[in-house]
Amino acid sequence: MEGLLLEPTLYTVKGMAILDNDGNRILAKYYDKNVFATAKEQKTFEKNLFNKTHRANAEIIMLDGLTCVYRSNVDLFFYVMGSSHENELILMSVLNCLYDAVSQILRKNVEKRVVFDNLDIVMLAMDEICDGGIIMEADSSAVVQRVALRTDDIPLGEQTVAQVLQSAKEQLKWSLLK
Amino acid sequence: MNAFKRDKKEEEEGSGNPFQNIEKTTVLQETRIFNDCPVDSRKCTHILTKILYLLNQGEQLGTTEATETFFAITKLFQSQDVILRRMMYLGIKELSTIAEDVIIVTSSLTKDMTGKEDLYRAAAIRALCSITDVSMLQAIERYMKQAIVDRNSGVSSAALVSSLHLTKIAGDVVKRWVNEAQEAVNSDSVMVQYHALGVLYHIRKSDRLAVNKLVAKLTRMSLKSPYAVCMLIRIAYKLLEEEDSSGGASSYSTLFDFIESCLRHKSEMVIYEAAHAIVNLRRTTSVELAPAVSVLQLFCSSPKPTLRFAAVRTLNKVAMSHPAAVTACNLDLENLITDSNRSIATLAITTLLKTGAESSVDR
Repeated sequence: MEGLLLEPTLYTVKGMAILDNDGNRILAKYYDKNVFATAKEQKTFEKNLFNKTHRANAEIIMLDGLTCVYRSNVDLFFYVMGSSHENELILMSVLNCLYDAVSQILRKNVEKRVVFDNLDIVMLAMDEICDGGIIMEADSSAVVQRVALRTDDIPLGEQTVAQVLQSAKEQLKWSLLK
Repeated sequence: MNAFKRDKKEEEEGSGNPFQNIEKTTVLQETRIFNDCPVDSRKCTHILTKILYLLNQGEQLGTTEATETFFAITKLFQSQDVILRRMMYLGIKELSTIAEDVIIVTSSLTKDMTGKEDLYRAAAIRALCSITDVSMLQAIERYMKQAIVDRNSGVSSAALVSSLHLTKIAGDVVKRWVNEAQEAVNSDSVMVQYHALGVLYHIRKSDRLAVNKLVAKLTRMSLKSPYAVCMLIRIAYKLLEEEDSSGGASSYSTLFDFIESCLRHKSEMVIYEAAHAIVNLRRTTSVELAPAVSVLQLFCSSPKPTLRFAAVRTLNKVAMSHPAAVTACNLDLENLITDSNRSIATLAITTLLKTGAESSVDR
């Protein structure tokens, strides 16, 4: 039973991807040069992965020697890949963080169109979650905080009086306009 | 609200991907406006997003193209827009491997890294370490040491992770930062603790005595971070295996007891890591195996597919070395044969083939 456990290392994640409902890449990152060195190999893998996962909502699959955990919503598919010997629950925590962070960034409208409208922030979020294969942050609210989301709804306690007044005015305006 | 409704409508009309038809050459031309003064941050952010999107799609840039783009990006340092600045760091990181003379941004990044804005500091450290080469490392060493022990957890994590990346180009340098890393292990932040342990282990891993000491110390102080505990279990497992093969058994029981105690941790991630380590140890007796197997058995009936998958995959391995230990789980495994996740079902079947008796064939 030798070599079944991984060398203790921080390099955990092999890749992360967000695909659309045709299996095309919206954003993807691969962190290990030994897995899918070229863009072509990566895209073939993504297509393959998508074909195997888009109908069955089964959360986890082994493919091409990688453990892939996934989650989907309307027209988006989120994937996190790791070595087949990796602790699946760690990968799952990364996936949950990715999904929740994106969902918060898009204000719960987890849809392709909205992702493209906020592509810069989503890129920053992915960069905050994983750095070169090391899990940087697994807490989605910390990620969202760090990507400096253009936000109008800062928690009340952290707003200045002027900001509160401003947002109250806005809300009043909108309720009158309805 | 209105903007949102409009978006919805466009989507219904099927406009799809707004980035679909962008051309590399056109986008690279557009970077000219980076030279404008003052910087139009919204426009520039959008162009930068397009470049990064193209790179992410697998578009290749030649050395000259990359270098020109890189230099165009450096012009944007005059803007103070937070998002634009962060996108610049991303761009710098992406282009650092292709473009030439990337070290010219060293001083700008060092300034951001030591500045007041916390949102810049962590990201600037990571960008800085991606452009630094061995010769430049000395110049930033002082700042790195400070950053590792910074009060802001994001900054500290960024410095630790970056220093681990740096070991690839300059193996010895990070060894000099061991004191700072040691201090960071005591951090209250879950991630900093994890990253610090990773760095410490990397520094010490060739020295068995030092690793032993590290593990002995950390198992006593009960780490807060589940990720760090998982890592510690892996280190302990490795020590146990090595000790086993070298014949010594001095600290075997303490290490094993530590792993076993993790079976009662509150995080599922840690429980699974511990069970996985125990069943993979070469020397485990069936008595030692029992608690780990019963934990895995519990996981088999979890509503979470990932947990079931992890459990059955591990049981599948145990079935090879200790088939008798797994027989207790046969009933649970039989329930998994019809699991909606095919990987789980397949693993359950192959496990049963190794452990199943004639009596279970009928069911």
